[in-house]
Amino acid sequence: MRDLAVRLAALDAEAGAALQVIAYFDGLVEGRAGLQSIVRGAAVLAGCPARLDDDARRVHIRMLPDGIAAPLPGPADESWPGQPVGTAMLRLERVGPPGPVDAMVLERAAGAAGSVLDRTRGRAPATDPAAVELVVDASAPADVRLHAARRLGLPVDGTAYAVALGSGESRLAAAGTPPPTTRAGIGPAVPLLDLPESHQAARTALRFAAEGTDEDPGETLVHFEELGGLAVLALVPDPAGVPDVRALEHAANAAPWVLTTLHAVASTISMRAAATVLRLHHSTLQDRVEHAEHWLGWSVREPQGRLRLQLALALRRLHRHPS
Amino acid sequence: MTTFKAPPPPFDPELGAALAAMADFLPSAVTPDMIPAMRDLSAGPRATDDELRRDGRFEIEERAVPGLDGDPDMSLLILRPTAPTGTLGCLYHIHGGGMIFGDNRSGVREILLDWAEEFDLVVVSVEYRLAPETPHPGPVNDCYAGLRWTAEHAGELGFDPDRLIVAGGSAGGGLAAAVALMARDRGGPGLLGQMLLYPMLDDRNNTPSALQMAGLGMWDHTANQTGWGALLGDAAGGPDVSPYAAPARAEDLSGLPPTFIEVGSAETFRDEDIAYASRIWQAGGQAELHVWPGAFHGFDVTVPTAQISQDAKRARVAWLNRLLNA
Repeated sequence: MRDLAVRLAALDAEAGAALQVIAYFDGLVEGRAGLQSIVRGAAVLAGCPARLDDDARRVHIRMLPDGIAAPLPGPADESWPGQPVGTAMLRLERVGPPGPVDAMVLERAAGAAGSVLDRTRGRAPATDPAAVELVVDASAPADVRLHAARRLGLPVDGTAYAVALGSGESRLAAAGTPPPTTRAGIGPAVPLLDLPESHQAARTALRFAAEGTDEDPGETLVHFEELGGLAVLALVPDPAGVPDVRALEHAANAAPWVLTTLHAVASTISMRAAATVLRLHHSTLQDRVEHAEHWLGWSVREPQGRLRLQLALALRRLHRHPS
Repeated sequence: MTTFKAPPPPFDPELGAALAAMADFLPSAVTPDMIPAMRDLSAGPRATDDELRRDGRFEIEERAVPGLDGDPDMSLLILRPTAPTGTLGCLYHIHGGGMIFGDNRSGVREILLDWAEEFDLVVVSVEYRLAPETPHPGPVNDCYAGLRWTAEHAGELGFDPDRLIVAGGSAGGGLAAAVALMARDRGGPGLLGQMLLYPMLDDRNNTPSALQMAGLGMWDHTANQTGWGALLGDAAGGPDVSPYAAPARAEDLSGLPPTFIEVGSAETFRDEDIAYASRIWQAGGQAELHVWPGAFHGFDVTVPTAQISQDAKRARVAWLNRLLNA
C-alpha cells in the first residue's frame, strides 16, 4: 500500500489535499501528539525539511521529509516561508516556488505547535548560574564557553545579549528575546564569544537603572547602548563627593516630593509635560521647582542647568548602586 | 468464544492522524465484492527492475520453478547482491494481502533490499496463487514448494543453506509461519529464523482484539472474515482447519526456529499474535515479541515516516543482527 505522502502528492491539484492536511493536524491535536510529531507532519506533508525554533523556550526541532529528525545545520534563512506562533517560528526550508499545500501546512502545524508549546513548555527552563558564569568569563577556553552557551540554549552561530538583574544575578538571552520586566541593565547583542563585554556593559547599565520609587525615581530598565557618553560617569570613583550630588541630597532632604519632581523636569520636554506626568497643576509645579532651585542653588529650567541636573541625578544613582 | 467488547486502545497520535487523513481511501472493512478494487488499490506503482537493481548492487532474476506435487509452475523473484562482503544468507519472502491480493514485488523495494545490503542476503520472493481463485492448500503449497526449491538451490544462488530465514507480513506472516511448520513436519528445509510481521494466523477471527477493533483501523473483523472465507470457504472457523492454513490451529509449536513477532496493540491480530509467541515459549522455543502501542495493521507501510514505524523497523534490524551476526 502506498503511504500518506504519496497519496497527498497524487492529490496536489485537488482541493482534497487541503482537507487532508486539516484532518491530519486535527488528528495530531486530538491525539495530543508532541512537537516532534507536529514538525514531522509538516515536513512529510510539505515534502521539504521543516523546523520549529523557539529561542525563549529553547526548543529547536528539525525534521526531514522522510520523517527522520535531523540536526540544525545553522540559523534559519529568513527567506523560507514561515509562520510565527508566540515566541516560536515554524518554517519550511523551501527554496523556490511554494508547494501546493505549503500555506495550509504552515497554518495548521503552527496552530498545533502553539497549543503544545503552551501545554508542555510553558515555563522557560531555569538558567544555570554556573554556565552563565563560564560564558561571560573571558579567561575560560573558547570551546568550554561555547559548550556552556549551547547548554543555555543560545544560538551558536547567532548573537546574544547579557542581562544584569537588580537581584545580582546575570542572564544571557538570544538576540530578539524580550528583556525582563524587573530592574535590569541590558548589554548589547554580540557574537557569543563577546558576551563578557556585553555582560560588563549590562552591569554598568544596571547602575544607571532606578528602583522606580520616590527615593530612587527613574527608568528601571536601562540599555547600555542608549547611555551614550553618560556611561563614562560610571568611572567616577566617588560620585557622592561631587558637589552637585551633595546639593541634590540636601534638596531631597528638604521635602519628600523633590526627587520625583526633579526627575520629571529632567526627563520630559517641557514644564507642562512634567506637570502631566506628576499629575500636578502647572502653577503648583512652578512653585515646587522654584523651591527646589533654591535648595539646589541653580536653575533647572535653562538648558545648561537642566544638563547639570541630569548629571547630578545620574551620579546620585551611581552612588546608590555601586559596582 | 467471547462477546467481550471494550473500547479500543487509542491509536498512536501520528498513526491516528494519518488514518483520519486517509479515511476516504482506506476502508477498515473489506467485503468479498471489494476484492477486485482492493487488488487495484494495493497494486500501486510496482517496483521496476531498475529500482530493484539499486544501481547494479543487485542482480535480478525471475525464475519459474515447479509447484508442489504436480501443481503448476510459479515464479520466484530472486535478487542477489553483486558485491557481498561476507557469507551470503537468504531471506525467503512471502508477501501480504489477506490471501486475496498483492504480488511478489510488494514491500521488496522498501525494506527487504535494505536488509539484504546490510546483512548480505539473497532475497527470494514467491508469487503464490491467490484466493479465492486458489483456495487452501494452493497458496501455502506454492510457498512451501518455493522454499524447498530455494534451499535445494542454495549452491547455485550462492548462499549458505544454514542462513535461510522466512519472513512475511500479514497474510505473508501467516504463510511464513505455516511453511515453518511444514518444514518442521516434512523434513526440511532447516530454517535459521522466522520473521512474522503482524501475521494472520487464526481463521476463527474471534479473539478480543478481533472483536474490539471491528470497524476500526486497517483490516478489521469483516476484512479478516473476507480473507479467511476466500481461502477456506465455509470451513473457515469450523472444526477441521489445517494448521498449514491457520498456524494458530497447530497443537504443537515446539521445534520451530527462533521467531520474531511484531503486532500493533490496535489491530485485529493483536491477541492471536501474542498468543502465538506465548505458545512458542510454552513449548520451549525462542521468540521475540514486540507489541507497538496504538499501532494499526500495516502501520509501518502505511505511515513509514511516523516515529513508531521507524522504531519498529529498527527492532527488526536489531533482531536480524543478533540472528546473523551473533
